[in-house]
Amino acid sequence: MFDAPGPRFRRRVFWISAVSAAVLAGLVALGLWRFAAGGQLELVRWKPYLTWPVWRYLLEGLGSTVVAACATGVLAMAGGLLLALRPNRFTRAYAEVMRTVPVLLLVYVMLFVLPSFGVNLPLFWKLVVPLALSHAASYAVIFRAGVEAVDPGQREAGLSLGMPDGVVTRVVVLPQAVRHMTPLLVTQAVSLLKDTSLGYVVSYTELLFNGRVLANHNGLLIQTFLVVAFVYLVVNLALSRLAHRLEASRARTAR
Amino acid sequence: MGRLFVAALLLFVAGCSGGAESVPGGSKIDALLAKAPVYAGQVTPGSAVDRIRKRGELLIGGSQDAPLLSQLDPISGELTGFDAYLGKLLAQYIVGKPSTELLTATSETREPLLANGTVDVILQTYTITPARRERVSFAGPYYRSGQAIAVRKGTSGVSKPADLAGKTVIVGANTPGVTAVQDAAPTAKIVEFGSDPECVTALKQGRGDAYVQDQAILVADASKDPELELVGEPFTEDPYGIGIKHGDTEFTAFVDGWLREIGKSGLWQEVWRQTIGTVVTGEAPAPPAIAS
Amino acid sequence: MSLVLEGFLNTVALTLLSFCGALVVGGLVAVLRIVPVPVLRGAGAVYVEVWRNVPLLAWLVLFVFGLPEVGVTMPLFWTAFTAIALYEAAFVAEALRSGVHAVASGQGEAARALGLTVRQSLRHVILPQAVKNVVQPLANIAIALTMATALAGVVGVVDMTRAAQRINLEIAQPLLVFTGVGLCYLVMAAGIGFGARVLERRLA
Repeated sequence: MFDAPGPRFRRRVFWISAVSAAVLAGLVALGLWRFAAGGQLELVRWKPYLTWPVWRYLLEGLGSTVVAACATGVLAMAGGLLLALRPNRFTRAYAEVMRTVPVLLLVYVMLFVLPSFGVNLPLFWKLVVPLALSHAASYAVIFRAGVEAVDPGQREAGLSLGMPDGVVTRVVVLPQAVRHMTPLLVTQAVSLLKDTSLGYVVSYTELLFNGRVLANHNGLLIQTFLVVAFVYLVVNLALSRLAHRLEASRARTAR
Repeated sequence: MGRLFVAALLLFVAGCSGGAESVPGGSKIDALLAKAPVYAGQVTPGSAVDRIRKRGELLIGGSQDAPLLSQLDPISGELTGFDAYLGKLLAQYIVGKPSTELLTATSETREPLLANGTVDVILQTYTITPARRERVSFAGPYYRSGQAIAVRKGTSGVSKPADLAGKTVIVGANTPGVTAVQDAAPTAKIVEFGSDPECVTALKQGRGDAYVQDQAILVADASKDPELELVGEPFTEDPYGIGIKHGDTEFTAFVDGWLREIGKSGLWQEVWRQTIGTVVTGEAPAPPAIAS
Repeated sequence: MSLVLEGFLNTVALTLLSFCGALVVGGLVAVLRIVPVPVLRGAGAVYVEVWRNVPLLAWLVLFVFGLPEVGVTMPLFWTAFTAIALYEAAFVAEALRSGVHAVASGQGEAARALGLTVRQSLRHVILPQAVKNVVQPLANIAIALTMATALAGVVGVVDMTRAAQRINLEIAQPLLVFTGVGLCYLVMAAGIGFGARVLERRLA
């Protein structure tokens, strides 16, 4: 944003860097020291996480997390597409409501309200359906923005070639829109993957829930949840990296 | 405890790459299964027993994180505890082999799970109440327990349920403890956590003055943790039943018959000794009488 | 009835306080991510990536049960507040950063060409324009934060959702209870949206 720094500014940056690096290192050291004082860094407390069976169990949880996230993603995208392609009062109201109601509340509705009306889904769907209902609204917003970003001339060109409206949408507008919104879609995927941690509440054996069972078993609450947080971090960072790479390649092809 | 666990784990890693058969401790259930009866009578075609036999597996709704009752060892995949072993024995009785599948249930989900046939039975500290009887059929009771109070060792001023008035009380979310505390001390401030270890941790960290939970679970916690102390006797009477789809009187009578049989043969007491009896001192109680 | 009120007030308080906290922390992190000092930029980036890539529920569990183990014990409400504020701060920081970046780079260059210092051009040229850009994204974060406070109920805070569940246990009127609570959230979100529109118009 700013022009190249001069020598005086560079010197100042150097000193600020040095001081802030020292402060940051100090903060990290303080945190570690507090942990050590609580006995949380003892090797015995971390050793289980160097063994395969523990990881196998956690990765099983991650597997369920991914399965739930994929199922939710497919349903939510389908719903989002329907909402985005049919903008009317109902779909707008739906998106508005879903944007403002906590997913946890939807999960509770699934658990408590629907059974009294005879709607009883298996556990997996009790997690996936509320998540999909909620995320469909977010996808609708993304899709609509993506479609609006496509030059209207493209649609007009398609129509003037004699293609029916639906075909124009499918073969001309959507493919271009998808390119515009790929990064957003990946960001949404991260948010969706994180939301599957609500399985913790409905006893769906995903990563966070498995972390809880593991912590109950070995009593290493902090270590277990730090490891679980780390797994989430790695998976989602990988997804985000993907988003950045896509964005970069899009920027290249667009130019 | 932690070191022992690590040692056992390393042993496990070093000793085998194989399946769950080689897990030490699996012998407990094996010894019980050796004495377990198998049903040899008539089976009505289309009945629940018939369905389970054809499937070759008993589907159980239960917990993975209830110590002494139904707790999963994430490493070996083995489920241990009073409820868990009874489930295995029931499967043995019906199918002829202890093949079960556990679906994690919560107090909100178990009635739906039964109603739509996702599970055959619920074995999950499921207290028989008149209100629940309108939605679920119960076999049993198979165990009598009650809610008890635990505090940090050295806490004074809590010796009976009425003392909880005005105090902050930790309970498991959606457990019978919530209503038990509300009834015993309406002015108590209730703090809910999702699982027993979380509740224990919260109590030790001073997030509440007392922790109300099923006595057997509290005894197990206190036996592992010297900082915990039980005060007084259980102040509620919770008969646990085996939940069965509402209206299936045939299957209910069938499971009742099995409970009577293992009660008479002493197998029930053996299961108790292997699980709850490892932390509760004294002889095994008599199994609860089952109304015919 | 007092339970309803307690839950509602806790949700409102948690939302307001956490959002203020997220603005303060998020503002700081955004500054870190913009300043031309590589170490600070790196620290800001690490903060954002770590916080927004781990589920809030995992953070809440870690904070509620983990912090006391290292000698930091706060009441449940304030523990939840800290976790939510720090989590949402990552999103606030990103919103602020892209708000600044969205100001055309020519604006910064023009300011510098006029002889303004870095600080002056930020303060008088870039930030006033950025503020307008970020109102809507920040309102979206505030709405998301309102929803996120429901998770505090899982770790012991009696928020609106937890209160609803407990009341439902007693009176067994799930449809009534959960619709009512859903409407409360809707009203809160509508309030935030309205406030944002008023603010945007005033800044325009």
